[in-house]
Amino acid sequence: MIAKLRSIWLVLPAVLLIGICFIYPVAWLLQRSVSEPVWGLQNYAEIFTKSIYLGVLWNTVTIAGVTTLLCALFGFPVAYSMVHSRPWLRKLLIFVVLIPFWTSILVRSFAWLVILQGGGIINDFLTGVGLIAEPLELVYNRLGVLLGMVQVLLPFMVFPLYSVMARIDGSYVKAATNLGANPIRAFFRIYLPLCLPGLLTGAMLVFIISLGYFITPALLGGRGDIMIAQLIFERIDEFGDWALASALAIVLLVGTALLFGFVSLLLKLRGKGV
Amino acid sequence: MTKHTKPTGLNRRTILKTSLYATASFAALGAGTRSASAAIDLSGKQMVFASWGGSYQAAQETAYCNPFMEATGATVIQDGPMNGSKLRTMVEAGEPIWDVVDVTDTFLFANEDLFEDLDYNVVDASPLDQTYVHPKGIGCIIWSYNIAFNTDVVGENTPQSWADVFDVEKFPGKRALRDRAYPMMEIALMADGVAPEDLYPLDLDRAFAKLDTIKDHVIWYTSNSAAQQLFVDGEVGVGLLLNGRVFDVNKKGAPVDLTWNQNIRSIDYLVIPKGAPNTEVAQHFMNATVDADNQALMANTIAYAPCNPAAFDMIEEDVLPWLATTQENADKGLLIDPAYWRDNLAEATERWTEWKLT
Repeated sequence: MIAKLRSIWLVLPAVLLIGICFIYPVAWLLQRSVSEPVWGLQNYAEIFTKSIYLGVLWNTVTIAGVTTLLCALFGFPVAYSMVHSRPWLRKLLIFVVLIPFWTSILVRSFAWLVILQGGGIINDFLTGVGLIAEPLELVYNRLGVLLGMVQVLLPFMVFPLYSVMARIDGSYVKAATNLGANPIRAFFRIYLPLCLPGLLTGAMLVFIISLGYFITPALLGGRGDIMIAQLIFERIDEFGDWALASALAIVLLVGTALLFGFVSLLLKLRGKGV
Repeated sequence: MTKHTKPTGLNRRTILKTSLYATASFAALGAGTRSASAAIDLSGKQMVFASWGGSYQAAQETAYCNPFMEATGATVIQDGPMNGSKLRTMVEAGEPIWDVVDVTDTFLFANEDLFEDLDYNVVDASPLDQTYVHPKGIGCIIWSYNIAFNTDVVGENTPQSWADVFDVEKFPGKRALRDRAYPMMEIALMADGVAPEDLYPLDLDRAFAKLDTIKDHVIWYTSNSAAQQLFVDGEVGVGLLLNGRVFDVNKKGAPVDLTWNQNIRSIDYLVIPKGAPNTEVAQHFMNATVDADNQALMANTIAYAPCNPAAFDMIEEDVLPWLATTQENADKGLLIDPAYWRDNLAEATERWTEWKLT
């Protein structure tokens, strides 16, 4: 009993921190979203009836979704090689994956411009060796946004995958092949399902962080690549419209929470099934 | 618009050399009765000045704050950068920490209730071109949206009008334009042949129809430094850029230049947030920014145009062509209508986002 009380004191700072830095502001946003200009759900009605908000919400979900998918595709082999390589190579890989964390997002986005733009490194090389006559349009479109986001978010996929893969007992796959499964079948039936918790955690992290992206789509995107965070910023900065901005933020938060709940449920069900 | 004329009998160089005498005579000419800031003793008092940071605020410190501190003994604390939502939150909470803020004309007009009325018995705005005086703010500098181009890309045949910028045959490849309804509506209408004096109220339908014609030939930017880089790298041949940004890269040797044809001018106002703690010092400070010498110093430091016509006589020869308010440059363009944008920004911005998504 006393031990229990003691441990409550230990979590108090964390609870206070979350309470002050998260719950209070969110409650404040929620209140503004339903009380301005008058009490009611008019701000939410506006979001769900106007084509621009629906369009941008759809954009946000698809960009975040494709980013997650690409992170999984690129992150999986990286995590796999990290687990199955020699220690020095593993250290090098971890270092390479971590580098994006150490540079500001603004610098990284500008760096992508240098690489991708019409007179950038890639196009210069391709036109220089005569592979293409006209520069390819690699940036100021959806492709640019996705490249920029995948690079930044890859570590959030790689590390959860790595930690799960490192704990997988290699003898399962060996047993499967021993029992007659070809390597591809062994991978899809044995290895991939074992990686699933890492994959889901990574996917959830990448997806949720993507939803709030702001600078990358603004700098690397084209005309239609507007995400919800940009609209929230515009509502506050340009119009001082805290009410609608708050409503948009709450929609984003609730959507994220629902997704989080859904994935947790999925993981729980899987846990029970095993 | 601007009504200044150069006094023909005076040689600017001579005036610069005998600056002490010039200061006295111009202050007397401009203000009529008193020298703007010198008379008052404000030692021991202080105020906070907030602007846009970077080289702009540094120039303001040199041109406004330092002379003011020297003349009055007051202390000016630098803060910023100016941010609309931050300012709004401060005033709404009733405790602004900024005493004088540099805001754009559209921001002032759209948020008039955030600012104190200026006491024009204390603030002497008479030397200013009265176009740039508002009950709640005095103009400090004028900047403009210009047609810009990279001479390496376009060669001899430089764009002369917004119609040229919209002409994808004449100027193939991408052009850089600002990802905002203003001033894109004005620009599209001028490109479609509307005369500057007939622009307001803006015909948004016509503007969007014109924008449809270049939809896929544009790099839309929100960051001015990113835009600057597009021109420097030759990623775009033509487009829209702020005059100060063109000046900046041009002086650094980039093949980027501008034309004053159909330029769109905008005013930066100095305002006092409602409830600011040091309104008295703030208003005396404003007098220092009105001063012709200080306005000239500002232009000579960073090439932003003065609102006090008397300042032109003390501005260096090679800076003059870059200024938006010289008679020659002003005649080629127009002053943006902040009252129109106050009333229509919300609708135009919504249509802008809608248009971008299609």
